[in-house]
Amino acid sequence: MAASKQQGSYLTLFWTAVTALCAGLAYFAEGFGKLVLVLGLVGVAISLVGFLKIKPMEGKTAGVAGNAVMKLMGLAVALGGWFVTIAGLHITTSVGGRLIFALVGIAVSLVGVIGVLPIAFGKSMAGKAEPSSFVAAKTTLEHSR
Amino acid sequence: MKKILQYSCLSLCLFTVGLALGAVAHAQTPAPAAAAPAAAAPAPTLAPADAQLKDAAGKAPATADLAKGDPGGTITGTINDVPAADTKAGVTLPDVANQVGQNKIAVNFVWTLVTGFLVMFMQAGFAMVESGLCRAKNANHTYMMNFFVYTCGLFSYWILGFAIQMGGTAGNSNLGGLQSLTGEHSLTLFGKAWGVFASAGMLLSGHTYDVGVMVIFLFEMVFMDTALTIVTGACAERWKFLAFTVSSIIMGAITYPLYGNWAWGGGWLSQLGTNTGLGKGYCDFAGSGVVHAVGGITALAVCMIIGPRIGKYNRDGSSNPILGHDVSAVLIGCFILAFGWFGFNPGSTLGASANGNLRIGTIAVDTMLAGCTGTLGAILYMWSLKGKPDYSMSGNGLLAGLVAITAPSGFVNTAGACIIGLVAGVLVCLSCAFFENTLKVDDPVGAISVHGTNGLWGVLSVGLFADGTSNYGGSWNGVTGNVTGLFYGDASQLVAQLVGISTLIGVVFSISLVINLAIEFFVGHRVSAETELAGLDIPEMGQLGYPEFVFRPEPVMSAA
Repeated sequence: MAASKQQGSYLTLFWTAVTALCAGLAYFAEGFGKLVLVLGLVGVAISLVGFLKIKPMEGKTAGVAGNAVMKLMGLAVALGGWFVTIAGLHITTSVGGRLIFALVGIAVSLVGVIGVLPIAFGKSMAGKAEPSSFVAAKTTLEHSR
Repeated sequence: MKKILQYSCLSLCLFTVGLALGAVAHAQTPAPAAAAPAAAAPAPTLAPADAQLKDAAGKAPATADLAKGDPGGTITGTINDVPAADTKAGVTLPDVANQVGQNKIAVNFVWTLVTGFLVMFMQAGFAMVESGLCRAKNANHTYMMNFFVYTCGLFSYWILGFAIQMGGTAGNSNLGGLQSLTGEHSLTLFGKAWGVFASAGMLLSGHTYDVGVMVIFLFEMVFMDTALTIVTGACAERWKFLAFTVSSIIMGAITYPLYGNWAWGGGWLSQLGTNTGLGKGYCDFAGSGVVHAVGGITALAVCMIIGPRIGKYNRDGSSNPILGHDVSAVLIGCFILAFGWFGFNPGSTLGASANGNLRIGTIAVDTMLAGCTGTLGAILYMWSLKGKPDYSMSGNGLLAGLVAITAPSGFVNTAGACIIGLVAGVLVCLSCAFFENTLKVDDPVGAISVHGTNGLWGVLSVGLFADGTSNYGGSWNGVTGNVTGLFYGDASQLVAQLVGISTLIGVVFSISLVINLAIEFFVGHRVSAETELAGLDIPEMGQLGYPEFVFRPEPVMSAA
């Protein structure tokens, strides 16, 4: 579909609604703050539904869906590594011990981020796409004059 | 011949490292004790201060003298320029003291604002680098993303982001106290309060309508925008403009400010020193982690979701080079960025007049040197191993060195800066190859490696190379003493830095991924295959970046 009037309209609504939402939060203590906050939330919801409605008009993209379960697993491993690091701060007070916990935590997070997730998102998706989508990426330029 | 060249390059690298280590050793040598002051002379009997002031006022040049002009600048700026509270009494000592205080804050305001303006100009550099490294058929789209990200980021930071990040940072004496920023929200765990986010300053309203708050807002805002523009490069040539806009608004309002609060806004990472005894807490002087790693890691998350460009990878998984269209834009853009970095790092003192702030000269020199050795590392690596001093990796080497020195610039000596930059220059080449060939993450400009990988390296290097000589008012993050890394005797600082790295990889990446998966669900990140092949300029922006050029698609490979 490319860029369109509908996109522009829903983006305008989204932008306005987010601004209203934040203004509502800023002035929450005052009466009108709560009203503005509710209006903002409603506006955000409508704009998101609008985005969703016009999304299919984009047409077929070259990306692939990937594996949802593996995505969750990758996220869990990435976050799990951070928990290991933080746990280390409270399990031991020695600098060496905390250093080891931090390194192990980073390693675990890396397994999630660069081990599991790239596979979950279809690491070599380009190689599995339709042949027609492999038309050259390169273009050459010629000056018209 | 090639081997000779390789050995020469290797020798030069070793020589440089040797020199640097020698300098480190030299730096570790304690300075000779200052000569004992001569016996204090008896203080002369001074006239009362007010009498002296009156005397000075009497000797000050008259209006008639000034009317003749002052080509040498010797009579401009005298006691007559100090405002008196009581004009009849003339200038008194309290008037002078107030003027001195205001001068200090004025110098710091001007310094912070001007360096902020320099950082703002970096947007132009990013636009040129990113667009130059993309194909001509996507030039308008890439430039427009870099242009519009400024608006998206600024606005979202004003309505929400600044409050989350800096809304609890009262007490900065460089900028007059910032006493209206007292909105940090904490979580009590294991008997200690840990800052999580702040809330004062949404829309810069109420008590935050304050001159000092405006200065810190401007400075922090341009840093945030730098982080946002990193993502546009990594996702260029296939990112739907609508999705880019929504993603940038949310990143400027939530993702970036959260980590910014934890590191700079009085949040839990900065409290690691006071709460757990780890060094001076997490130290990130100018943002290798807060700005660059957050941008690079978010870019990785979005790149994974969005997938590689059509034609980047073959069926067997091998990659094809997709060349940029404008060498001059790339290299001039890199120079603009290097220039802007003099705002980024020295400006992060948030002042030029206060305890330790005269270190701005050292910070600027460290910045220059790391950029220099970053370029050197990348050029020598590419030349000796690939046979040519590749322009894009040379530019990325410069940027990698600058990114890596951003966190340690306030704490290291020049030798440390050289080593940090040199490592960054080689690291960016290795990282680009790793992401492209092993992970199959298509990053047209190398932003993930330049900002993500080297942002993490910069954070780590504080824990290694901080030499314990910087002193910004006697403490850092509320812990008395100077920031000192492992090589200078404090291993606990390294642990604090590793906790920051773990948070970036584990938490910031996860938050970015979840937010952008939600955007993928509602909006969809990627343009259609048809749009991608045609180039994004016409379908997304309605106009070619180079309308007088004729684009001729040339099938250079097939799926077979």
